[in-house]
Amino acid sequence: MLKINNLHVVIGDEEILKGLDLEIGPGELHAIMGPNGSGKSTLGYALAGRDGYEVTDGSMEFEGEDLAEMEPEERAAAGLFLAFQYPVEIPGVNNAYFLRSALNAQRKARGEEEVDSMNFLKTVRASLKSLKMDEALLKRAVNEGFSGGEKKRNEIVQMAVLQPKLAVLDETDSGLDIDALKLVAEGINAQRDGKRSFLVITHYQRLLDYLTPDRVHVLSDGRIVESGGEELAERLEAEGYAFLEETSEA
Amino acid sequence: MSALLEQLAPEAALAEDRYADIRRRAHQRLMQHGFPDLKTEAWKYTSLRLLEKRELGSGQGESAGAPEALPFAADVIHFDGGVLRNPPAELPTGVRLEPLDPAELVNVDYGDRAGAMAWLNLARFEQAWRLVIESTLERPLVLALTMPAGFATAVHPRLRIDVATGAEAVLIEQQHDEGAGLVNIVEDIELQRGARLRHVIHRRNAESIWVQRTRVSVSADADYRCHALELAGRLVRQDLAVHLLEQGANGEIDGVAFIDSGQHVDWHTAIDHEVGHTTSREAFRIMADGSGVGVFNGRIHIQRGADDSHSDLNTANLLLSDKARINIKPELEIYAEEVTASHGATIGQLEDSALFYLRTRGLPTEDAMALLKFGFAAAPLETAEPEVVRNWLIEELQAVL
Repeated sequence: MLKINNLHVVIGDEEILKGLDLEIGPGELHAIMGPNGSGKSTLGYALAGRDGYEVTDGSMEFEGEDLAEMEPEERAAAGLFLAFQYPVEIPGVNNAYFLRSALNAQRKARGEEEVDSMNFLKTVRASLKSLKMDEALLKRAVNEGFSGGEKKRNEIVQMAVLQPKLAVLDETDSGLDIDALKLVAEGINAQRDGKRSFLVITHYQRLLDYLTPDRVHVLSDGRIVESGGEELAERLEAEGYAFLEETSEA
Repeated sequence: MSALLEQLAPEAALAEDRYADIRRRAHQRLMQHGFPDLKTEAWKYTSLRLLEKRELGSGQGESAGAPEALPFAADVIHFDGGVLRNPPAELPTGVRLEPLDPAELVNVDYGDRAGAMAWLNLARFEQAWRLVIESTLERPLVLALTMPAGFATAVHPRLRIDVATGAEAVLIEQQHDEGAGLVNIVEDIELQRGARLRHVIHRRNAESIWVQRTRVSVSADADYRCHALELAGRLVRQDLAVHLLEQGANGEIDGVAFIDSGQHVDWHTAIDHEVGHTTSREAFRIMADGSGVGVFNGRIHIQRGADDSHSDLNTANLLLSDKARINIKPELEIYAEEVTASHGATIGQLEDSALFYLRTRGLPTEDAMALLKFGFAAAPLETAEPEVVRNWLIEELQAVL
C-alpha cells in the first residue's frame, strides 16, 4: 500500500526527515511514535503534499504510484487521507456542503458518478451518531467554533465519509478526554476491514490501548530508529523516549 | 469641470414643468460648488474623471426589456431604462405610487461639492416618484431598474419611499445595467413609527458610472435592515446614510461586494444615532480580484445626548490578487455617554492552510478557492430574510465565483 524509501524532507533550509523507511501493507495499522520535533507531523504533511515540504531524496510510493508527482487533491482521489493535528476552520462553508463537494470531487477524479444525496446523508448521519456528534454540526461551518475534541472527531467523520484506502492520523488523540479518545478509536476500528490501512501518528501510547497496531515505529531525528510490536509502545510509555539515546549510543 | 457641467446639465435643456424652479436652483448650486475631486474627503478614493471622458448623449434611454425573473413570487415595478414608462396597471394592496409633490423638494440641501451628484440629480431629473407602503406586504416588492447594452446617456432617477406606521415590507432593488452611461439615483426612505423594512440591493453593472445616494430615516421603534449584494461594474458609488431619529430605532447594514479587473466600487455608509436608546449594526465585506478596486467607508455617529446607544461595525476584506486594492475606513464619532460602540476591520488574503486542507480532501485548487471565497462572501447574506430572498442572493453570489 505505502512504501517509503530513504525519505529526506526539507522545510526551508532545515532537513527534518533524514532517510525514513516505512512500508505499510493492505489492512495494516501502523503507529509512529516519537518525541516532539522528531518529524512526525512533517511525515504526515509530506505524504499529503503540503507546499514547502520539499522531498530532496528518496521516494514515497502509494499503490505503486509516486506520491511526489501528485497534487494534494490527486493523492486524495487516489485514496490518501490525512487527519490534521490542527484541523483548519473554514468560515462560512457548512460541513454538509463541504463534505459532499469533497466526496464528489474525488469521485469525479476517479471517473465515478456523483454521490446520491440520500445515501450521502445516511452515511454522514450514521458516522456522526457513532461519534456521538450532534447532527446540527452539518449545518455549522467547517470546524468553526468547534471545541478541540469536536474538531478531532470531525476529522474521523470526514474519514468515514471519504473512505480512503490509507488514512494518516496525525495526533488525532491529542487534546481528547478519555471518552472522546474511545470514540475516535471506535471510529478507526469501524473502518478496519482488512483492506484499508492506517498510519497513526501519536505522542502517547494511550490511543494504542484501543487499537491493535500491527507495527509500532519510533521516529527520532527524522529516521525510524526502532520498530516492533505493541510491546514497543508499552516500553515507551514506561520508560519514556530517554531510552532512545541509550539505543543510539549502543 | 465646467465643460462637464455644461455637458451633463445644459441650462437651456431644463424642462419647463412644475419642478422647473427646483431644477434651476439645483443647477445654480451645482455651478457654485462644482464636482468633487480627489481633494474632496468623501471622494478621496473615487474619481469622477471618467465622466469627463465619456461623451454622454442626451435624451431618454432605450428600453432594456424585462428584468431578470426571480425565483420567488414578487410584485415588480420596472424602471425600464431608468424611467417608469408605464406605471403598473395594478399595484399590490397597500402600495401607492404617485408623482412627488414639488413642495417636498423646495428645501433640500446637499451641501457643497461632496453632494454634487445629488445636486446634479435635482437639476436634471425627469421623473420623481413617491412610493407609499401603507400596510404590511404579503410578498416582496421589487423595484427593477434595468439599462440596455446601448445605454450611453445620463439618467437621474429620483424616488421617495414611505413605509407607514407599523407596516412591514421586503423591498428589493434589482439593478442591472449592461450599458455605458451614467445612472445617478437619489432616494429617500422614511420608516414611520414601528415600521419594518428589509431593503435588498442587488446590483450588477457593466461599463456605466453608477452613483446612488440613499438616505434612510428611522422613527421610533422602527427597524431598517439593508442586505446588499454588489456585483460591481466599471464605477459604482453608493452612499447609504441611516438616521436613527427616535428611541427604539434600529438600523442594520449587511453587504458584500465582489470586484474584479476594470471595476471600482465605493460604498460610503453612515449610521447616525441622533437620539439615545437606538441600536445599529453593520457588517460589510469586500472581495477584490484582478485589478479591482474597493472602497469602504463606514461612519458611526453617536450625537451629543444620544445616551444609551449601541453600535457595532465590522468590515472584513479579502484581496485575491497582487494588483487588487481595497481602501477601508471605519469612522466612529461618539459624543454621548453610556454607549457601546465596537468596531473591527481586517484586510487579508486567502489562507494557504485552508486551501491545503480543502485540497487534501480532494477539491482541486480552483474549486477550493471558490469554496473559500464563497465562505467569506456569503456570511453577510446569511442574515437576509425571508429565506427565498436569502437563497436567491446566495445563489447569485455562487454563480459569479
